[in-house]
Amino acid sequence: MDNAQPFFDFGPIWESRWLLLEGFGIAMFSAVAGIFFAIVLGLIVALMRLSRFKVLRGIAFVYTQLFRGVPLYVLILWIYFGLVYAVGIDIPRIPSGIIALALLNSGYLSETFRSGILAIDKGQREAGEALGLKKWEVTRYIILPQAGRIVVPPTGNQFVDAIKDSAILSIIGVPELMKIAQEQANLFYRPFEFYTVAGLMYLVAVMLVSRGVFMLEGRLARYSRSKGHDESSETAPSASEVNN
Amino acid sequence: MDGYIYNWNVVWQSMPELRQGLIITLQISIVGMALAIAFGLIFATGRLSQYGYIRKISVGVVDVSRSIPLFVLLFWIYYGLSLKFSINLTAFQAGAIALGITGGAYMAEVFRGGINAIDLGQREAALAIGLTQSKAFFLVIFPQAIRIIVPQAVNVYVGLLKGATIVSVIGVADMIYVAQYVSLNSFTPFEMYSAVGIAFIALTVSVAGLAFLLEKRLNQGRARG
Amino acid sequence: MARSLILKELMKQTMAEALLQIKNVTKQFGDHVVLKDVNLEIAKGEVVCIIGPSGSGKSTLLRCINFIAPPDQGEIVFEGRSWKKFHSAFNIFANRKYEAQLPQLRSEIGMVFQHFNVFPHMTAVENVMLGLTKVRGKDRATARKSAEQALNQVGLGDKIDQYPEKLSGGQKQRVAIARALALNPKVMLFDEVTSALDPELVSGILDEMRRLAREGMTMVVVTHEMNFAFQVANRIVFMDQGKIVTTGTPDEIRNTTDPRARAFLSSILG
Repeated sequence: MDNAQPFFDFGPIWESRWLLLEGFGIAMFSAVAGIFFAIVLGLIVALMRLSRFKVLRGIAFVYTQLFRGVPLYVLILWIYFGLVYAVGIDIPRIPSGIIALALLNSGYLSETFRSGILAIDKGQREAGEALGLKKWEVTRYIILPQAGRIVVPPTGNQFVDAIKDSAILSIIGVPELMKIAQEQANLFYRPFEFYTVAGLMYLVAVMLVSRGVFMLEGRLARYSRSKGHDESSETAPSASEVNN
Repeated sequence: MDGYIYNWNVVWQSMPELRQGLIITLQISIVGMALAIAFGLIFATGRLSQYGYIRKISVGVVDVSRSIPLFVLLFWIYYGLSLKFSINLTAFQAGAIALGITGGAYMAEVFRGGINAIDLGQREAALAIGLTQSKAFFLVIFPQAIRIIVPQAVNVYVGLLKGATIVSVIGVADMIYVAQYVSLNSFTPFEMYSAVGIAFIALTVSVAGLAFLLEKRLNQGRARG
Repeated sequence: MARSLILKELMKQTMAEALLQIKNVTKQFGDHVVLKDVNLEIAKGEVVCIIGPSGSGKSTLLRCINFIAPPDQGEIVFEGRSWKKFHSAFNIFANRKYEAQLPQLRSEIGMVFQHFNVFPHMTAVENVMLGLTKVRGKDRATARKSAEQALNQVGLGDKIDQYPEKLSGGQKQRVAIARALALNPKVMLFDEVTSALDPELVSGILDEMRRLAREGMTMVVVTHEMNFAFQVANRIVFMDQGKIVTTGTPDEIRNTTDPRARAFLSSILG
């Protein structure tokens, strides 16, 4: 190696900045898409878990155990490589990644949503039904809005996890931040600098998202308070505790 | 399923290798957990220090460790750090350390949460009868906090088990590594990854079950009231 | 005749020597100043009851006495020795040295809490033994005997090996009292010890406290039980907003002219 090389050289970082930012964009896109579908799936599964029908409850239970127990890496390999052979469906890289993220996080989120819904006082449902609303209307207009507020923090955490998990997508070749960092690190033979910068970029993303969730919580709390809710803070069990 | 013939035999034939891989996964996750407990204790006690600068550093390290993907940390340690500072780490060691740091950040929170959950009055009463700070901690606070800490520690362990899957990328011969090279040769990724997936789910469920039993034993009605 | 009077005065003076002196104590939590320059002397064998509205700093004052919450300013003089708060921002060793001495102070002062704070992971007798074994260094056999004795004295002879969760509030509080008494303290601090009890259990605890007073224990009692205070106390202290407003014998306080004290008493006594 050239003796004139400095110990730390962040020059190559600057040269690759656009590539890195592109990778960052793809990573964030995958995370957002993944979480979005995870929320939809999670909600469906949570409601299934709470339904009157044993079959639905059973399926939902198996679903959550399955997707909370399997590592993301295995799931992604299974979807991207495995399904091609067995079922003949060839799912391209990025969608594979998004599907994997969605399935995995939906497992956790369904538990979060379920405990959030359960945390709403029974009396709310009773009051709603007493007014003459049908069961699903009570759920839609009374329970879910309140549960929605409770689940914001743990869902935010899940989003943060998705951002971190997006790094694993590099293994199937998705050109996200980690993959770009790897390629550039090998190109310039500067792994330390590139991985440091990649780490910092994830750090910034996570901090921004955390801050955003925190502010969202504050907004929602103020909103509900001004609507005449009583001021006592909810002592619902933190859904992330049930998560794990 | 246009004529795909499932070849589950490959799975049975690779059992010995898979079992080896499983052992490696367990090894690396246990070593990682041990490190995580050690780091967690250090970060947690740093957080409780009387000295502001120690507190700030502890909080900072924990926050950073929780914000960076395990994958990035792993590469940073194995390729970045060891190359830069000429430290010779094996892939196993790098993996264990990365797991230890990430796990340590979570364990720090677990320790903190468990200790904070113990009523302040317990500490006051312990001090009031003349126990020193450390005796008060070990004889009164810690025995009660342990009940809360252990189940959550098991959760962290499960997280490490799943995180440990990434180490195959830097060459550790765990289950996934085995699955990868077997499926490469025999064109059976579906079967192999399904098997590995099931193995992990079984592992997770059994660890969770153990945790449940452990929790029941610890909660045998004594440490409440 | 004059000589016996002089002798009586001398005896009164030595006996009334302050066991505990609270001098210029100030304490704050963050921006909130909870105690402002509090001064109080307590003689050996005296029963002092502290009354006053919530937030007046009564509980904090007790915690200053045994340095669970050391006063930010001022000192506590106990048995002639002065105790002041010490904290260095950098010198770990000096801090450790200072903290190592506090148990000496605390083991001579017993404290009973509003919420009992019995250790749930130990049986009743183990709760009481803890101070004897770990603070006084006694062996387990001796400690156990003393502990059993203490529990017998508070009427819990049959509950020695029970875990606190099986005990009622009143019984838990008795365990707490036995735990404090086992160390033979010179002073007992009581922080609203009946406030968290069901009404029918309150009198039991108050009787225990009366017994202790009769036996000559020096007691500082923060309480809302006015009947108890006026019957048992040698002196009553009225606190409000972090200051001692007025002190005196029960009779003096009953007829006090201080407006805040009057208002407080009339709201409680009706």
